[in-house]
Amino acid sequence: MKVFPDDLFYNREHAWVRVDGHLATIGITDYAQEKMGEIISVELPEVDVSVELDEPFGTIESSKGVFELISPLSGDVISVNEDVMDDIGIINSDPHDTGWMIVIDMSDPEELDDLLDSREYHDFIIREAEDG
Amino acid sequence: MAVDEAIFRVNRHIDAPPTLRFYGWASPAVSLGYFQDIKKEVDVEACRRHRIHIVRRPTGGKAVLHEGDLTYAVVARESNPLFPSDILGTYRVISHCISRGLALLGIEAEMADNSRMSDGGSLKASCFSSPSRYELLVRSRKICGSAQVRSHGVFLQHGSVLMDFDPYKTCDVMLPHADDCEGQVVRLNQSVTSVLEHADRPVDVGELCRVLMTGFEESLGIALVEGTLSPEEEEVKTQLLKNKYMNIQWNMKGGCRKWI
Repeated sequence: MKVFPDDLFYNREHAWVRVDGHLATIGITDYAQEKMGEIISVELPEVDVSVELDEPFGTIESSKGVFELISPLSGDVISVNEDVMDDIGIINSDPHDTGWMIVIDMSDPEELDDLLDSREYHDFIIREAEDG
Repeated sequence: MAVDEAIFRVNRHIDAPPTLRFYGWASPAVSLGYFQDIKKEVDVEACRRHRIHIVRRPTGGKAVLHEGDLTYAVVARESNPLFPSDILGTYRVISHCISRGLALLGIEAEMADNSRMSDGGSLKASCFSSPSRYELLVRSRKICGSAQVRSHGVFLQHGSVLMDFDPYKTCDVMLPHADDCEGQVVRLNQSVTSVLEHADRPVDVGELCRVLMTGFEESLGIALVEGTLSPEEEEVKTQLLKNKYMNIQWNMKGGCRKWI
């Protein structure tokens, strides 16, 4: 059974969020990376680009296909994880920590209210697997 | 491409039944996978010489020369009960539909069971040089390649069924070029085949389309209903055509910026 850290929030598109004041670090969940399989390419926004809630902020190609990364929040990108570009394998091996993707300055922190906590996300993926 | 992506985008908001499209190409074209680097994968000058258009797909995978092929697109919600929730399962189900259709032409196609089994003689840019799991082979030679994109709980799968195959032109437009061109052609011929090579009777693209539709109907236990784009899909298609698929920035470089 997968463990989803309690200090993260999650959207239904399998992205996680770690909040530090107005800043939010975003990545994809362990469940997502496992579903995608071996990740071979990633495309992330540049610093200062705005990302919007529920819109793509990047794209991943794995051995199984292309996946749009759907932003859990709106804001401006202030940092992009260059380590991911240098060693893409860390998204598969450590998705909740060193495999983070971007940090944004949130434009509407109230959007956090609609995200799931770890327990809700865990229940969501079980339901998704059953429905699929 | 714009029609396929429009259906894919609009499906995000509605609970529509799955869509299956078949189409040919008005003029020869190379379609690139989403992440492919055109400079490394396609000889643009050779494409100009042959009057071959270049377009980038929203789906992944490798480059495909569309000349004498039938292209299909399937769009469905991941939760649709016709398709398994796992990604490879979707490839498997769609390959089974196509295999069943090809059987009506006397073609016995089998699913590849090992990822990237052969490199087709170093022409790595070409989709048909290397079968992925569940892609279709006839006597160990690839006859149908496919690729997917997923977003917002919806998938779009593109595939190309080869009606005919021109290894010389493929070698001419795909990179890298080998010093041993004839050898490259031979190796490509050993790994790629076509409907016309194996069908038990003369076949045109219309008949191929009909048998594949039957393959989907029989395999999925459904009856296909002909449809047209909804007004919303038409509008998104127009925007995508103008802003993305007729835009050199997308076709040459790709990128995840907002196109509509």
